[in-house]
Amino acid sequence: MDIFWFLTFAVLLAGYFALEGFDIGLGVLLPVLGRSPAGRDRLVGAMAPFVLANEVWLVALAGVLFGAFPVLEGQALSRLYPLVVALLLAWIVRDAGLWFRRRADGAAWRLVWDGALCAGSAGLALTWGAILVAVARGLPDSPLDAPAVAGGVALLALLAWHGRTFAAWRLQDGPRGSGRALLLSACAAAAPAVLVIAAATGHMLGNAAPDPTLSVLSVMVVPVAPILVGAQVWVWRTFSRGALPTFF
Amino acid sequence: MDVVDLARTQFAVTGSLHFLFVVLTLGLAPLVAIMHTRYAIGGNPLHERMTRFWGQIYVINYALGIVTGLVMEFQFGLSWSGLSHYAGDVFGAPLAMETLLAFFLESTFLGLWIFGWHRLPRALHVACIWLVTLTAYASALFIMVANSFLQNPAGSAEVGGRLVLRDFGALFTNPTLVFALPHVLSAGLWAGGFVVMGASAYHLFRRTPEREFFIRSLRIGVLTAFVGSLFTVGFGYAQFGPVGSVQPDKFHGAVPGTALGLMITIGQLVQFAVMFVLTPLLIRDVLARSRWLHPLLMVMTPLPFVAAIAGWIVREVGRQPWLVYGKLSVADALTPGLTRADVTASFAGFAGVLGLLALVDYVLIARAVRRGPGRVVLGAADLPVTAEPAPAHAL
Repeated sequence: MDIFWFLTFAVLLAGYFALEGFDIGLGVLLPVLGRSPAGRDRLVGAMAPFVLANEVWLVALAGVLFGAFPVLEGQALSRLYPLVVALLLAWIVRDAGLWFRRRADGAAWRLVWDGALCAGSAGLALTWGAILVAVARGLPDSPLDAPAVAGGVALLALLAWHGRTFAAWRLQDGPRGSGRALLLSACAAAAPAVLVIAAATGHMLGNAAPDPTLSVLSVMVVPVAPILVGAQVWVWRTFSRGALPTFF
Repeated sequence: MDVVDLARTQFAVTGSLHFLFVVLTLGLAPLVAIMHTRYAIGGNPLHERMTRFWGQIYVINYALGIVTGLVMEFQFGLSWSGLSHYAGDVFGAPLAMETLLAFFLESTFLGLWIFGWHRLPRALHVACIWLVTLTAYASALFIMVANSFLQNPAGSAEVGGRLVLRDFGALFTNPTLVFALPHVLSAGLWAGGFVVMGASAYHLFRRTPEREFFIRSLRIGVLTAFVGSLFTVGFGYAQFGPVGSVQPDKFHGAVPGTALGLMITIGQLVQFAVMFVLTPLLIRDVLARSRWLHPLLMVMTPLPFVAAIAGWIVREVGRQPWLVYGKLSVADALTPGLTRADVTASFAGFAGVLGLLALVDYVLIARAVRRGPGRVVLGAADLPVTAEPAPAHAL
């Protein structure tokens, strides 16, 4: 039972980086790839219908951490306190940029929220890199040091590449973006997190919730799992091709 | 303030902000779903315009519900790791279910609904907003199950200094849940109804060209508030019995006592006003034609929100000093080693950013109301995927 929930956790983590990774990367590259307001609208339009379905993988990940590994949840989040706070603030700022950028007229308004979208995305990539480095080193007392910064920058570059691959694939321009290239960059985006969590397998299995709790979780969640997967597939079937929605 | 008080205040402030937006989400979602269904069945363009206008208000409000909710979910581990250590094997389960069974689907289906205009077949598009509504209600259920467990740790037993799960079903039949859940959901309908009523009153008062649109909306708003307020008040009073049996001292403190008085005063007076004045005045559209009453309707709009926050203050402050009632105190649940500087910095960050965004969001909602159904962006035309002839971007 604990192995099942560990694998669920790992799948959610990999899925988060493979999917939300391109939103983050594209947000970072927004001023680079979209030099004009119209260009940025196009880039945001490419990722917009996916963002809500992608970012929620992290919410689910945190839920599984709390439900199936409650002791680790308390340990990890409190040991990583400043990084988790920074991650949340970056996430909030990124989301605000997306939701607000088209809600009022005026070039200045749009510029402010495009800036929020870009800065928030960069903050997400940097803090995630630092968090992965800290987890890989066994949650050191002061998680903010040179290796953490290096990890942040490395992840930023990786996700930016993933975002660029996604844009090339969805917008069908530039060097012909293929689905295979996107799959490759998705695997690459998920790889660091998967490696870190694989190294922590023993520690996680040793701190899983007791069987009665895990059984209840399984009984409730497993029957609904096909709907979760189906909803995600539906998003991809609906928004992979064709014109770009304009709400975000 | 010491560290515990700071962390508590942080939770109270972010939680209150979260609920201000969630309560409207819960109320507007079913209204938008009903409007969209009527459009899908009858094909009346007025119903489409209502779906898109009120849907846009709902969606702008939703943005803040998400970002404040993120902070809530992570705050347990950040500030209260003692809770996950002591009670995580029980308390974590409903929270995990909320994320997997409710919010994961709610967010996915909301994306499909927002961006699915011109793309999804009409019946499937309507199904999306109903699934969003259903999962929003499921979310409320799981969160209230988790909160009720803190009020009265049913279904669990202490073994070796930690709580273990003994009876999962008991979490759902918890006496602090069964009347509180419909109380909260009805309060959502009341808040949603009042927003629709207040916004309609604004347009009728300003004599904008959308008279028929807002006469109908006013009717929907008042009738929703009638149903919502009736059940909110009913399930509110019904809670005194169960609460008295598990938390006899709940209302004795100055803060919970005052908040209870405020909530009941607002709830009772406004419910009477809705039942005995506003609803009867719907006959022959007297309310829509009584222009002098419209500013009053606008002024009344925030009252369910004030009452809702007062209600949470009663429920949460009334169980102090316990985090898990009778088992784990708030002070003992605080993350060990947390410093004042940590909490102060994160509190300033969260309260500052979320407070600012909440203000911006309310301004945007007011702006969307003011601009009216003629200038709705939700469901607007798509952008061609190919770049324009003279692209200024370089990919």
